[in-house]
Amino acid sequence: MKSIIITNNPLVAEKYENMFWIDGSVEETLVKVRDMVYQGYELVSHPLAASLRMLFSPYRSVIVGRKNEKLDFDHAQIIEDSIIKYKNHTDARKVEESNRDDYKKMDLLLLESALSDEKGKW
Amino acid sequence: MKLEIGRINIKDIQLGNETYVKNGVLTVDKVGLIATLKEDERIKDITIDIAKPGQKVRIIPVKDVIEPRVKITGGINGFPGVSSKQAQCGEGITHVLYGAAVVTVGDIVGFQEGVIDMWGEGALWTPFSKTFNLTVDINVIDGLEPHNHEETVRLAGLRAAEFVGQAGKNVTPDEVLTYEMGSIFEESTKYPNLPKVLYAEMMITQGLLHDTYIYGVNAQTILPSLLHANEELDNAVISGNCVAACDKITTYQHQNNSVILDLYAQHGKEINFMGCIMVPEHTTLSGKMRASDYTAKLVKMLGADALVVSEEGYGNPDSDLLIICKKCEKAGVKTVLITDECAGRDGMSQPLADTAVEAVAVVSTGNVSHVVTLLPAEKVIGKAEAIAVLAGGWEGALSADGSLQCELNAVIGATSEIGFHNATCRLY
Repeated sequence: MKSIIITNNPLVAEKYENMFWIDGSVEETLVKVRDMVYQGYELVSHPLAASLRMLFSPYRSVIVGRKNEKLDFDHAQIIEDSIIKYKNHTDARKVEESNRDDYKKMDLLLLESALSDEKGKW
Repeated sequence: MKLEIGRINIKDIQLGNETYVKNGVLTVDKVGLIATLKEDERIKDITIDIAKPGQKVRIIPVKDVIEPRVKITGGINGFPGVSSKQAQCGEGITHVLYGAAVVTVGDIVGFQEGVIDMWGEGALWTPFSKTFNLTVDINVIDGLEPHNHEETVRLAGLRAAEFVGQAGKNVTPDEVLTYEMGSIFEESTKYPNLPKVLYAEMMITQGLLHDTYIYGVNAQTILPSLLHANEELDNAVISGNCVAACDKITTYQHQNNSVILDLYAQHGKEINFMGCIMVPEHTTLSGKMRASDYTAKLVKMLGADALVVSEEGYGNPDSDLLIICKKCEKAGVKTVLITDECAGRDGMSQPLADTAVEAVAVVSTGNVSHVVTLLPAEKVIGKAEAIAVLAGGWEGALSADGSLQCELNAVIGATSEIGFHNATCRLY
């Protein structure tokens, strides 16, 4: 399917061409996703991970799809709520420096798992 | 389908030269177990140890917890489709070493946490501080890629539980629990006036360290599937998930799923419990829509009056939980949700990442952000460096006396969303 990966993960940037690189934080990545959703892009993968520990990851990759003429209000709600929730959890924490490489790998693997769900779709 | 669970009460555990149970004491043949596990050439080293309730022992990072069992009649021994050949789960007689647990330790990634403290404040929160634990620390050969590494550790845990479970083969159980249920039509004829209730069990199915398997099938690849209530109680479902420590469902918790047991206890009394729908939690929005549509369709097809839904994990699965709720409530099915909360350290923030006006019956299993103090351990089983991961979250988490503060999030099973844990709740 037609998609763009919004990412601040260098491993993803190296491997995929259909990506938009964010030279910044997870929050900046989510904000870019939010801006694109408001421009009409569909959200393909959920902006948040499935566990609190992965919310502390310094890397995040989110897949957006086609650009439509109209904004999808449900998707706008999801990305807005995700940013609020993300900030709630991370404001009180330090960025975890020691495991950066493992977080990069996990983000890539979970992204690829999401991409495989979307294989063969228009 | 009729399943008899024969509980052999375990009161102590020790290592020895043979594997057997005598007078409630479980002895495990350490050398034999290591040799069996090392049949897997991907394993370099195995360290076996023991942790008993009350000991000042910390186990970290925990990968999975598994209840040792042995099949006496019906089906096949082990975990069908995974550690043994395919067979039907949920029938016949299974002996359980009740009170014992196999705890696997192994870090696949550096940020794994998953702590079990056998004493102190930590012990109050994890249900596995009360079990007699056989710890299996698995080191793999160099260069194993992460999926292969995870599979090696997962299989080693299941095979260890199977090995230890053999000790219960020729022992008369202290207690026998019977779980019997006919077809949906038979039960509905028997209890025509009772409300028909289904249980939807959501499972994290999103990739490495975030997976669940049913009869060995990676549940990421399934449409929601209907299981007889006996199947999960008899080794059909296993965990491949080891990141969300507090609310991941360990294999042990699948084997003893509290929601299934509680619904079973009310079957024929207050409700007609029809079975379990196993619901994958996808990371894509289309996957979430597909799984929730399919779940709601099964609920309607089976004519259920009510649905209990339990979540696994936190974050994007909150959306699945609430979409299922919306769809089923709109179809006239009374829906109860079980989830934990991520409500900030003071418990005052919005608990979930999503909301729905239809979610009017919600059971909380605890606040994952609640801060606990873990005292310094006399002995650490696993990787002492992993403690730094726990303490690494914020300034001042590590005190001068060696005690550390961490969020409940790191404690295995502390906020179990299927209610297999120590926290309780109050009705408002």
